Amino acid sequence: MKSALTRRPGSGYKLADAMWGYFFVAPVVIGLAVFYAFPFLQNIYFSFCEVDRFNRSSFIGLDNYREMFGSAELYQSTGNTFLYVLLTVPLGIFLAMIVAALLNSKARGQSAFRTLYYLPAITMPAAIAMVWKWIYNGNYGVLNEFLKLFGISGRNWLNESATAMIAVAVVGIWSMVGYNMVILLAGMQGISPSYYEAAQIDGAGALACFFHITIPMLSPSIFFVLITSLISGFQVFDTIYMMIGKTSLAYESTQSLVMLFYRNAFDYGYKGYASAVSIYIFVIILLFTLIQFVAQKKWVHYE
Amino acid sequence: MKRFQHVNAKLLTAALAGTLVMTSACSSSGQAATTTAGTTAAANSSDSSNAGTSAADTTAGNSNATTKLSFMIWDANQQPVMEAMAAAYTKENPDVSIDIQLTAYKGGEYWTKLEAGMAGGNAPDVFWMNTLHVENYVDADMLAPLDDAAKTAGLDLAADFPEALVSMYKINDQMYGIPKDFDTNAVWYNKELFDAKGVAYPEAGWTWDDMVDLAKQLNDPDNGVYGIAAPLDFQTCYYNTVFAAGGWILNDDKTQSGYNDPKTQEGIQIWIDLINEGLSPSLASLTDTSADAMFESGKLAMIWAGSYMTPEYLDNEVIKDKIDLVELPTYDGNEANVINGLGYSVYSGSKNLEAAEAFAAWMGGAEAMKIQGESGVVISARNDAQQYFAASQPSLNLKAYTDKAAIATALPVSKVASEMYDVEANSLKLAYGGEMSLADACAQAAEQSDALLAKMNK
Repeated sequence: MKSALTRRPGSGYKLADAMWGYFFVAPVVIGLAVFYAFPFLQNIYFSFCEVDRFNRSSFIGLDNYREMFGSAELYQSTGNTFLYVLLTVPLGIFLAMIVAALLNSKARGQSAFRTLYYLPAITMPAAIAMVWKWIYNGNYGVLNEFLKLFGISGRNWLNESATAMIAVAVVGIWSMVGYNMVILLAGMQGISPSYYEAAQIDGAGALACFFHITIPMLSPSIFFVLITSLISGFQVFDTIYMMIGKTSLAYESTQSLVMLFYRNAFDYGYKGYASAVSIYIFVIILLFTLIQFVAQKKWVHYE
Repeated sequence: MKRFQHVNAKLLTAALAGTLVMTSACSSSGQAATTTAGTTAAANSSDSSNAGTSAADTTAGNSNATTKLSFMIWDANQQPVMEAMAAAYTKENPDVSIDIQLTAYKGGEYWTKLEAGMAGGNAPDVFWMNTLHVENYVDADMLAPLDDAAKTAGLDLAADFPEALVSMYKINDQMYGIPKDFDTNAVWYNKELFDAKGVAYPEAGWTWDDMVDLAKQLNDPDNGVYGIAAPLDFQTCYYNTVFAAGGWILNDDKTQSGYNDPKTQEGIQIWIDLINEGLSPSLASLTDTSADAMFESGKLAMIWAGSYMTPEYLDNEVIKDKIDLVELPTYDGNEANVINGLGYSVYSGSKNLEAAEAFAAWMGGAEAMKIQGESGVVISARNDAQQYFAASQPSLNLKAYTDKAAIATALPVSKVASEMYDVEANSLKLAYGGEMSLADACAQAAEQSDALLAKMNK
């Protein structure tokens, strides 16, 4: 048995056995190759081409990239996307942690609360955006009606550069807390109670336990949540696309990189240029993920 | 590392399981389809089309027909009337069957599917086309010229259809779309709001100044009611007044934009004045709550609207019995209206090219256009069939739409039209929102549009 497990793959299998192996992994491998690997490689190629609506491509070298880096829109969208990530990721994780800590205690109706907090994660982003759009509505929105109770006159939240991005970020945070909460909660429940017992015997309070036991022990989960939140933050599209109309005065100040990609690919039919934008987004996400993986050595503690 | 691996492993398992389910589902349905085709060679076309594609698809005609045409449309409201027209055609031509495919327009799904089909050499034979896309498609040789088929079917394009509509589908002197329907603009008004203020309803022959006067009398912002709305809407609103004021948007050669012409700006400024005088909600307010939504909730006394809004207004329980319409007011003594419309186009790579062309041409004939017109959903493009739309709602003055086809100006389009509309909206919204003067906004729009046109013509 031991020798079978340590044998190097491909060194001594009979062809028939190997075929069975390939047969079993084939559905996944073929799926990944056809729907992920091939389009990814084709996308890289397309970014060096002019591609029309009908996928007819002609190689133009670096022209797409030259045009992209020469356009003010790219920098505006990059800035908007970074601002969105900055507004949503830290707060989204912080709030998820608080909620997870509260739900980790043995309160009544705990599973009901867990379900409620998780609901946004399983709701369609388009539906979320539509509901929030009505909440923010300048004329009849619930938010402005609520503010009126305190004598504050509301605004057209989604139509002013000063407020639109914050309004969108609030929706982003609201929809990410549930998912992050579940991951963190799972992490918290994996922490052995013996640590807390030992600390309590030494006289540690609830806060000290949280900062000196929970957070360090939870750091792998926090790291995971951070990575996934950053990636989805850089890919923000649905909420902005649904909530900010083309005639909104905040349109330019909320346009994300994926919006820029979408508009060029599907509204204008510049698929080559859009491919270049998508590669740019890919590189940004790759860089940030790499930085995270290097930096985690400093702060993530594994048991 | 343990815990992170743990979480990771769970997710990975879930993801892989998902992929597995997806791929196996795909392969099993593929298998099922092949089996059906393989074992039941005599299966009739309507059965196999229902099994193979979405339930929304329908087939008209004899199941043993030798020529099978596919026909793609995007409007579910028009599917029944398209079916009726296809059934009438297959009755006359028993060797043809027509498979109608419905694909949503929203989110660009229709065009994505059509373009992907053409990229793969396997697109529907006949499909709806609009003016925004036709030039790009002709440029890529995806559409078949229909002049000969039209002649064979007895269509006289110049005499049977509004000139502006024909001009939009005539490219390099060849027709690439048989005109299907058109839309023009008119002013709808809420009679209840007029009666409440004791104001007389507008009548044909009224002027822009009359409209402003009425708006002043009807305006009641304290109760959330406005006299009129000035949304940033080119086709429905300001292009009409730009043309009436003698301005222009795009020259005939499609080499230059007309935003810098003072007459163009005059036709736009009068709308901004409505906002500045408080007769219309602000741009921000109209972006949050559309003019249509306001009109449909009884908060707007008058609204400029395209004929395609008719079914929606008449379906609305709140307003359907309180509204009527009147032709657009004249400006500066001039009457203008923007017309746009759909066409039936044929895929140049169709395997049944001749049959597809014959069907498309037949759809422009008197019989088909009568069936379409009597449905009351759209205005049939044929001059002799426009009356049916107006007749479908005798209590309403729908002639305000149909009467205007002859004097209307074609919606300006080009291969970069979608970009130009965005550039225009991005600049003009600054003027509408009071953040920039109209002259400056127009200068910006002109500069960017002319750059787009230069690139297009390169």
